[in-house]
Amino acid sequence: MHIQDGYLSTSVCLATGAVSLGAVAYSLHRMKDSLGERTVPLTGMMGSLIFAGQMVNFPIGLPVSGHLMGGVLAAAILGPWAGCIAVTLVLVAQWALFSDGGLLALGANVLHMAVLGSIGGYAVMTTVRKLLGGGFRGTVAGSVVAAWLAVLAASAVFCLEFRLSYAASDFDFGNIFTLMVTLHALIGVGEAIITGFVVSVIYQQRPDLIDMAQQVDATVASSASRFAAAGLVCALAVAAFAAPFASDLPDGLDSVVDRFRIATSEDSTAGLFADYDQIPITGWQSLSISVAGIGGSLAVFAAAVLIGRAIPVNTPTIAVEATGE
Amino acid sequence: MSDFWDRYGRSVSICHRMPPVLKLALAISVIVAGVAIPVRYWPAYGVLGCLVFAGHSIAGIPLGYLIKRLLIFLPFVGSMAISLPLSQGLDRGWDLMLQIMFRGCLAFLVSLWLVNVMPFEQLLVTLRKLRVPAVVVAILAFMYRYVFVVWDELDKMRTARKARSFSGGSLWFRWRTLSQMIGMLLIRSLNRAERIHGAMCSRGWDGEVRWLDDQD
Repeated sequence: MHIQDGYLSTSVCLATGAVSLGAVAYSLHRMKDSLGERTVPLTGMMGSLIFAGQMVNFPIGLPVSGHLMGGVLAAAILGPWAGCIAVTLVLVAQWALFSDGGLLALGANVLHMAVLGSIGGYAVMTTVRKLLGGGFRGTVAGSVVAAWLAVLAASAVFCLEFRLSYAASDFDFGNIFTLMVTLHALIGVGEAIITGFVVSVIYQQRPDLIDMAQQVDATVASSASRFAAAGLVCALAVAAFAAPFASDLPDGLDSVVDRFRIATSEDSTAGLFADYDQIPITGWQSLSISVAGIGGSLAVFAAAVLIGRAIPVNTPTIAVEATGE
Repeated sequence: MSDFWDRYGRSVSICHRMPPVLKLALAISVIVAGVAIPVRYWPAYGVLGCLVFAGHSIAGIPLGYLIKRLLIFLPFVGSMAISLPLSQGLDRGWDLMLQIMFRGCLAFLVSLWLVNVMPFEQLLVTLRKLRVPAVVVAILAFMYRYVFVVWDELDKMRTARKARSFSGGSLWFRWRTLSQMIGMLLIRSLNRAERIHGAMCSRGWDGEVRWLDDQD
């Protein structure tokens, strides 16, 4: 999921970096209002936890294995702003300790995982939660749906960034986007299931922790802006499925890309492929995208229902004081 | 575990003694050059590669360690880069794949150099000197302090799970067990954060980050 240096062109890296910097600065500003002097220990511990949680490998029956990303999880506990900061700093620390993720690409990674994952994911989660009337099932379903949509939205933004990084003649973007979106629909289902399980455990053991984020929500995020953010994430997720089809169509985007390319003197191998005819969207692409979209939605719906049902709800009425054990 | 990442962070060499800001600037400029230089100026890549290896050898980082880290890194960058030719029916995209992999490895080696000549504490001090907000530096410092504690906790839970042989079962069951482990880890960590917060408050914490050298 981490983008390494070298995938995106320098100008795209700088642009995403600027967007992320703005979002992070705003989150910092809002975070102080919501958590007060608890900011440092809570956000720092959440960061350590996501860091460690990403080390837990989830088997998927293949040689590769999946792991948690944690944007929606951080937002479910800390609220959108501190969640965004926690994930951002996890990415910074992963670069500084593992050399994982790349330095120039940090802005893009923050945009995908912290801004879309935490702020966008939180907006979706709260909206779904409110629509389902809150409670255990509403919270779990909200986090499951939010986790899936956040991953898809990130893949849509990545498609756009990738498209802006390379010349149209370099290769056929429809194919690569189909692969990306299909893959991320799957990765998103994994993230959704993990997030749903973790949130359900927390809701049963310490419901006050999730309510903590909800109180933050009541004071700092108006419902209108939340709906707008949730709508944006949904639109991006839908756009992910449109990306393979739209990539060859708009001339406007091409001219922007070309201007970008000339301005930054980004290399292109256009000479080699100049007379290559673009393949129109063929059957396997639309089939793959449909399967990813419909199958993913069904899987996420099933996960929301199953996780909400699998474990009997026995929420303690009095929150346990966490002192002196 | 921490020993593996910045194993040579505390050894002594010219690279280690450089001013931290210079290290950071050097690393960033080599990465930017690696990503920004067009492929048609390919000799520049040779120069950058030599620079990177010179940096590593001056810093006294053994080749074996670099190769080991690179072998762990390659599947990540490779699996994403290979999707380019795969999606093009294997007839195009190979040049771009090589370009992405080469740039990725170059940037990775530069980051690795930086990690191994600049311990995390030094990075924090540098970030503070570069006027990064104090809260951000404090959270990063807190994370670095407690990530190892959380890891130990995770290790204990893994051992306990193994001892009770919770490793088999259906995929759904295993995912549930592993997720519940993360959930319990989260609750324990946040309990710990609350205790730490209490301890910080009793020592006069008011949310304002102060550093010992704030006077100058």
